[in-house]
Amino acid sequence: MQLYDAIVIGARCSGASTALLLAQRGHRVLVVDRSSFPSDVISTHFLWPHGMSYLNRWGLLDEVLAVTPAHTTVEVVNDGISLTGSVPTELLREYFRDLHGDDSGVVQSYASVRRRVLDEILVGAAAKAGAEVRTNFTVRELIVENGQVVGVRGRAVDGELVEERARIVVGADGRNSFVARTLALPKYDERPRCTFAYWSYWSGFDLGPAQLHRRGRLACAVAPTNFDQNMVLVWGPSEWSREFRGDVPGNYQKALDFVSPELGDVVRSKGTREERIYGTLDQSAFLRPLHGPGWVLVGDAESAKDQCTAIGITHAFRDAELVSAALDRWLRGDASIDEAMTAYGDRRRSQNAAAYHDYVCTLAEMRPYRHDELQLFVALRGNQQETDRFIATHADVAPVSEFFQASNLFLLNDAAKESSADHAVFEDFAETSRSYQQNLFA
Amino acid sequence: MTTELDQREDGELIGIILKAAHCRDFETMARTATEVSEMTRNWATHIPWDDLASLEGADDELAQVVADLTEMWEPAHLRNPVDPDEEYALDKNAYDFYRPAGRNLLTRTGDFYGWVQARRRTETWQYSRVLEAAPDSVAQITNDLGRRARGINFNSQDYLSFNTHPAIREAAAKAMHDYGPHSAGSPMVLGNTRISDDLEAALGDLVGLDHVTLFPTGWAAGFGAVVGLVRQSDHILIDRLAHSCLQQGARAATRNVVRYEHLNVEAVRRHLTQIRATDTRNGILVVTDGLFSVDADWPDLVTLQRVCREHDATLLVDVAHDLGSMGPGGTGVLGMQDLLGSVDIVMGAFSKTFCSNGGFVASHSPALKQYIKMFGGSHFFSNALSPVQTAVVREATRIIRSAEGDVLRARLFTAIHALRDELTGRGLTCMGEPSPIVPLLIGNEKLARTANRLLFDRGVLAFMVEFPVTPTGSSRFRLQVQAGHRPEEAREAARIIEGAIADSRAYLSSAFGSAPR
Ligand SMILES: Cc1cc2nc3c(=O)[nH]c(=O)nc-3n(C[C@H](O)[C@H](O)[C@H](O)COP(=O)(O)OP(=O)(O)OC[C@H]3O[C@@H](n4cnc5c(N)ncnc54)[C@H](O)[C@@H]3O)c2cc1C
Repeated sequence: MQLYDAIVIGARCSGASTALLLAQRGHRVLVVDRSSFPSDVISTHFLWPHGMSYLNRWGLLDEVLAVTPAHTTVEVVNDGISLTGSVPTELLREYFRDLHGDDSGVVQSYASVRRRVLDEILVGAAAKAGAEVRTNFTVRELIVENGQVVGVRGRAVDGELVEERARIVVGADGRNSFVARTLALPKYDERPRCTFAYWSYWSGFDLGPAQLHRRGRLACAVAPTNFDQNMVLVWGPSEWSREFRGDVPGNYQKALDFVSPELGDVVRSKGTREERIYGTLDQSAFLRPLHGPGWVLVGDAESAKDQCTAIGITHAFRDAELVSAALDRWLRGDASIDEAMTAYGDRRRSQNAAAYHDYVCTLAEMRPYRHDELQLFVALRGNQQETDRFIATHADVAPVSEFFQASNLFLLNDAAKESSADHAVFEDFAETSRSYQQNLFA
Repeated sequence: MTTELDQREDGELIGIILKAAHCRDFETMARTATEVSEMTRNWATHIPWDDLASLEGADDELAQVVADLTEMWEPAHLRNPVDPDEEYALDKNAYDFYRPAGRNLLTRTGDFYGWVQARRRTETWQYSRVLEAAPDSVAQITNDLGRRARGINFNSQDYLSFNTHPAIREAAAKAMHDYGPHSAGSPMVLGNTRISDDLEAALGDLVGLDHVTLFPTGWAAGFGAVVGLVRQSDHILIDRLAHSCLQQGARAATRNVVRYEHLNVEAVRRHLTQIRATDTRNGILVVTDGLFSVDADWPDLVTLQRVCREHDATLLVDVAHDLGSMGPGGTGVLGMQDLLGSVDIVMGAFSKTFCSNGGFVASHSPALKQYIKMFGGSHFFSNALSPVQTAVVREATRIIRSAEGDVLRARLFTAIHALRDELTGRGLTCMGEPSPIVPLLIGNEKLARTANRLLFDRGVLAFMVEFPVTPTGSSRFRLQVQAGHRPEEAREAARIIEGAIADSRAYLSSAFGSAPR
């Protein structure tokens, strides 16, 4: 029986990258996954610039860009009020300096990378860095001795039961985490109201950079992805999901037509759907404890949240860097496990992280925008700097609280260059707002 | 469209499996499971898709599978019902209501009021509490549901405990006797008394500036100074976190406002250079607080004033919180940085240390003084500080400058250190520097509101601040210490506060709160 420094359960965004970074630092790592690669997992796959920057820091960006279209500007349209912007490089640098102590590898582009593409690149890189990768390997049991997790038992591809031991077990096994369930870890900060999301892959059109539309309680997004296809996604409040799933293809098109008639028309008249429609009803957010004797969690296993800001993969990368830096210090003997894990915990549970968690969860309720929120979008038009900062806030690059600060909001409004009179949604606002409360699919 | 596209959607398949499980139709379960997409299988790895057929007979395993599948099939909010009032009260922020819609000004504030009522009902509304007796280091209060509490009082702004000081009370009584309650006019007309002149002189002496103007409130002083001086074509550089009266004064005065990063003098220098590169004709006012009232820190005023002079900009410093309560002889942050008499414009408020309403603006320029009086609005068109208030502030200024002032400040700082040490020792995060304001960072609003609710009955009175006082997601308790606080009281309060935070974290089941950064 071999003793590894770390066993990582789950070999996707959080697991493969943690294994990669630990192996790069010379540690003995085993990473296992129940699935095989290339394969998809329920997830759209928008990667914000800091997500891309992580890939660049790890030397994997070129491989991704060789097969994936990338852009720097996004268009965000709320009730007809359009904003276009990019995450500012300076804020990206600040983000990395603040969180990881160095800002190397920052790129300003984003991309939408199919998981079958991205995850395979990550797994390949982990193996190349020296991590031992076993796919089709299902962990069935955690080995616990004296209250400490010391290894795993699982079924390998040939059906054989295998036991492996390590100094630490990393749970990178997703929102339904086996590790968390086995250890009976509680969920914290649960926010049950969330979105249902349905999407598919379409060929036949190219709209350039990604677009994100929102009207009332529904939203849709289109992003160019691999294989000359577009990922087209619709989402809405989970309260409406039962009715939606009564006729998924019909309601998918209905939602597109409602939120963005232009996009609905492109999809209907030019698009060819290349795959089935995928979807999920439950993306309720929660946190779990981060670490304990012999184990640590990363990615969705530790903190899952709604897809509405498309941040999960990027956060999985962030976790991988944070946790591998912490584990490295401990494995080298530069810090005790408690010190190392406390440092990881402080970053993951910082005030900014809490504010962003609330931001995502509140957004995921998909309440119709209030008058002042829409007014804010109007005020942002013509103020590129603040538009970019808003996009950076949404993407968790800049602190939410600095943007949503009384004096900032007042000032934005005062300096607005455009009046709301030019936007139809303000015409009979109260009535429009009321009509948005009606379930479109009922 | 290919035939593959006619495949049924995963949700529908899970519905079929669940129905089959209900009839213990294992064959249908197993057959349908093979149709579920690779995506869903890879996501829901906790469900033994390949083994559904072999479940036969094992009831507990079947029950687990049904539970796991139901979780995917049913939206979570249907599984975990919550108290809607409490959810509404805790999840929303004042920000959510700050600009209501509609053309009827009377009716459109309804949503906001509904939220306030939800917060009242759930006792998470920290505002509008009233005192039942004179506030001291202990106070008795009633909340707006009529519930009463008594506790160690970190909720009053009376840094040197002047409210109970015999000489202060005596001064008030004497002024009352001599002049009556008296608020009979604008200071420009006949609102002032002889003691107003005395007070202006005493304050000038305290901050080292010759020309002082009194205002009826601190807010009026800050707002009036900014709108009095700055014209539409001028510029204002203002610390992001400067007091609201200055922020709103800036908004009212000009559109050319830059909110610079908190305390960042280099940012000020950069902005000044930029402005002066294109505008050499108009004025620039740089605005900052001395001691910041929600972060408890202060700027490097020496450099800031120098940078201003280098760019022909004027500096205004608000010393509302530090003057009287800290620094050599009570001279505040100015005295601590050896800047008495050398800052362009100093303004302050009496409500923190001087035991009264009111405020002042001071400078070396008699012209500036006369100008602000005339054009500041809040001076000319507001009634003057009453004689009682004026006398109280004058007496407070006298004590602040006396040896007794030093004793009171020493006591105050003993209590401050006791409180900070005890809170920090318990793993909580005190922001800023030792000063009469001890901001205890909580962060998450829900946690802060719940802790505040619990604290009410536990013998500590503390004010919880959140948006719009702080940015969203950085709420905190602002503990205001008094010279009258005994160190044991401070330590006791810290213990109680820690308990309330821990209990609310457990109540909310939250992993956040009071974390650094
Ligand atoms: C509808 C939807 C849309 C989304 N859209 C986006 C988006 O646009 N952008 C974005 O950044 N994020 C998005 N996300 C979030 C993102 O998918 C997740 O945050 C991300 O997948 C988390 O990565 P992970 O590595 O932690 O877990 P996962 O990707 O879930 O990987 C967990 C792995 O662990 C393996 N595993 C589990 N149990 C075991 C076991 N017992 N033995 C062996 N292996 C096991 C699984 O097979 C799996 O491969 C979306 C999520 C959803 C649901």
